[in-house]
Amino acid sequence: MQKKLLIALVALLACSTFLAAAFRKEDIKVYKLDNGLKILILEDHNIPQVALYTYFRVGSRNERPGLTGVSHFIEHMMFNGTKKIGPGDFDRKMEFSGGANNAFTGEDMTGYTDWFPPAALEPMMEMEADRIQGLLFEPQVFESERGVIASERRMGVENNNDSILSENVRATAIMAHPYHWDVIGWMSDILNWKRDDVMAYYRTFYSPNNAVLIIVGDFESAKALDLIKKYFAGIPSGPPPPAVTTVEPPQMGPKQVLIRKEAQTPSFDMVFHAPNCQSPDFYPLSILDMVLLNGESSRLYRRLVREEQLALNVFGGIGETIDPLLFEIYVKPRPGVDLNRLEAVIEEELDKIKKEGITEKEYQKAQNMIRSDFYFGLQTNAGKAGRLGRAEVLYGSFEKLFAQMDNYAAVKREQIQEAAKKYLTENNKTVGKLIPEGGVQ
Amino acid sequence: MKRFSAAAILAIIVLVSAYPGECAFKLPSPEKVALKNGLTLFYFKNVDYPLISFRMLVRGAGSAFEPGEFEGMAALTAELLQKGTAKTDAAAIAEAVDFMGARFDISAGSENASIMAESLSEHFPRLMEIAADCLMNSLFKEDEFAKERSKRIDNIKAIKDNPGSAVRPYFTKAYFGAHPMGHLASGTESSLKKMTASGVKDFYKKYYRPERAIAAVVGNIEKAKLIEVLEATLGRWNVPGPAAPLPVPPNFPKPKGKKLVLIDKPDATQAYWILGAPGYPLGDKITPQADVMNTLIGGRFTSWLSTELRIKRGLTYGASSYFQTWSIDGLFAASSYTKNDKIGEMLDITFDLLKKARREGFAAEEVESSRNYLQGQFPQRLESNGSKAGAYAMLAFFNLGFDYYDRYLAKVQAASRAEAKAAAVKLLPETDFVLVVVGKAAEIRKQLEKYGTWTEKKITDPDF
Repeated sequence: MQKKLLIALVALLACSTFLAAAFRKEDIKVYKLDNGLKILILEDHNIPQVALYTYFRVGSRNERPGLTGVSHFIEHMMFNGTKKIGPGDFDRKMEFSGGANNAFTGEDMTGYTDWFPPAALEPMMEMEADRIQGLLFEPQVFESERGVIASERRMGVENNNDSILSENVRATAIMAHPYHWDVIGWMSDILNWKRDDVMAYYRTFYSPNNAVLIIVGDFESAKALDLIKKYFAGIPSGPPPPAVTTVEPPQMGPKQVLIRKEAQTPSFDMVFHAPNCQSPDFYPLSILDMVLLNGESSRLYRRLVREEQLALNVFGGIGETIDPLLFEIYVKPRPGVDLNRLEAVIEEELDKIKKEGITEKEYQKAQNMIRSDFYFGLQTNAGKAGRLGRAEVLYGSFEKLFAQMDNYAAVKREQIQEAAKKYLTENNKTVGKLIPEGGVQ
Repeated sequence: MKRFSAAAILAIIVLVSAYPGECAFKLPSPEKVALKNGLTLFYFKNVDYPLISFRMLVRGAGSAFEPGEFEGMAALTAELLQKGTAKTDAAAIAEAVDFMGARFDISAGSENASIMAESLSEHFPRLMEIAADCLMNSLFKEDEFAKERSKRIDNIKAIKDNPGSAVRPYFTKAYFGAHPMGHLASGTESSLKKMTASGVKDFYKKYYRPERAIAAVVGNIEKAKLIEVLEATLGRWNVPGPAAPLPVPPNFPKPKGKKLVLIDKPDATQAYWILGAPGYPLGDKITPQADVMNTLIGGRFTSWLSTELRIKRGLTYGASSYFQTWSIDGLFAASSYTKNDKIGEMLDITFDLLKKARREGFAAEEVESSRNYLQGQFPQRLESNGSKAGAYAMLAFFNLGFDYYDRYLAKVQAASRAEAKAAAVKLLPETDFVLVVVGKAAEIRKQLEKYGTWTEKKITDPDF
């Protein structure tokens, strides 16, 4: 057990006032340490709290067979002990100081998100810096955490028919690129990860030059920067991680997945290969996903849920990823529905878009939704920090966030029809159906 | 993900508070505005963003007031209030709301209905026109009723396909039986089949009344403009004649001994459980001490349950506990899940932890940590316009006062070891509780036998 970090919670509290919380590119202070760590700082004194986000450029995209799910496993192990801080002490110390945290792993990045009172700024920085290269992976803790992940997979995938289907559809649509597997990884890999392989993976991807630190909230920028230098500047940079070179070959004909399993309700998933988020085609397809799937007025909700009553709900859209992922149309069908009929109706709706495009009103609606979502997301320190981090990792720079609205506004209505014709094609499609067996229909 | 956003967190959002020190974070006091029709409104201006959030609670329009045989009617009524008025049909309402990029929802809790509307400032007047039209002029047409009802019946099957979502309604029914606070928003196959469109309309007429509504608005709008917008919309919602007083729900059932229910889901590879026992009513004076105690038992990541079940043994991805409160009483619940062959071990550990807390209480350092955690995490719970508006409406609705969080905070800060232990002794169950498990009976039944006699149901049986 480590000695508790000294945290004087009350004494150091600075008075917070309700200041107008601006969010402009110019208000964000940007630094890069010599070891390559990029830092984004935004003071916001709206509430006495700090959001400290550390995003690493690593996710399931960087994995390989046998080590699927390992990015996510390391995310868990980041709380399980370094040379300086014992297993579980990161959370214990943080919670003692009034802080809380979470973490997530995606296809392209792994994020550590801390929210704490201003007085805890220094100890939080110390602990975040420590675990960038200090993890021990003690064998007993390693095994216990493996069990946690297996339980997470059982909860998220194996006891959830919709997830079972979507994992199968993804793995069928994508055959070569590491997006082939879900972030959680295959169960047999989870049960067989070797400590040495996991540690080698950690050393490859956890270095300051492969990370971005975002800090938003109630602090003084100069002081925050000093602390960052104090704790992060001494971490050596690593060699650049290996590039992901696999390119998914073009799909040359429709694919299909059929699952028969005990269930009371069917599941349905349709996907098309889509461009990555830095492609100019990403924006028209994002607008298209709003028109097709977003809200009760969207075309597929209206047709499938309201008019034909074939489905309970529709979800999906285009994946926002570094490499090309999928445009997904996920439908929760009603029990007993003919899934071929469901598929035909979706095809009809897609054909309409390809033939006639979207209406001016739909175009305006999508633009309004995008603008509204942008502002709603900026109301909290967490929302600001998360958006800055995503932009930095996925789009190459946080500055791109401030161009997003213009990028959407610059899309011409006709481009949406063009994008639909280009991507939502028969040869580019994979359809998955889960057909209930056994359960009461 | 490292963990769930546990139900515990949700429970805390509603009623937990605080930050220490002289310049502690405070919920700013709103201004009270009365509309001409008697509707009470609380208002706070925030010019940081071009956004406005509206929240409203309507007393009595919740599921506790629906007739027992029509369980789910309050929720269905709330849904149908968005499905067509004399002026605007369901498709046009959805189109108008989506076109503005706005958020709009009417839902039913136990004791009230809840209306949420928020948008960019420029769209707010139009959004309130739609909200008011829905609340005042809905038609409850037969075809919309039939669609929504059949969707809900089918949705129950979808809930039952996922043991993690199914365990909650099964638990609620096992704990509350026919008690009105245990009515399920989803309804049940049987209750939904009995409902009619005219029954729903009657529920609306009886329980949706402006003098029973409390609203709050936070955002970028001047007071004069807000009053103008609301008088032209919700201000026209007339009191529909005298109302019968709302019945006071009967006392909560108190488990005597163990009530054990096993739901067989033959394809489940994990067993999911909820353990429940009596809690305390909303705003009760034990709240701060109970929260300090529950934070340590199952309210955060390093809680005892999470530490013993997840961190040390890797038995589960998540384990938590929480208090749920209503105006007249409340409930303590703990829950988790693990693979089929570990359910017995997991339950044993859980019961041992609850016993240990009652016998030994907590270390001074743990109690201090819990106090710090509750206080440190408080400010962000009231960070957005919507969360502030929600807090104003809730505090006014339950008559707790806008200084409620300040008082709560002071008590959290002062909570002692002895008080935390006393809360554990009073609120953590030992012999009297309800325990519901959803899982593959063939693989878990034997492990469960030692706890007593179980009532078994199949997940494919209708209702919960």
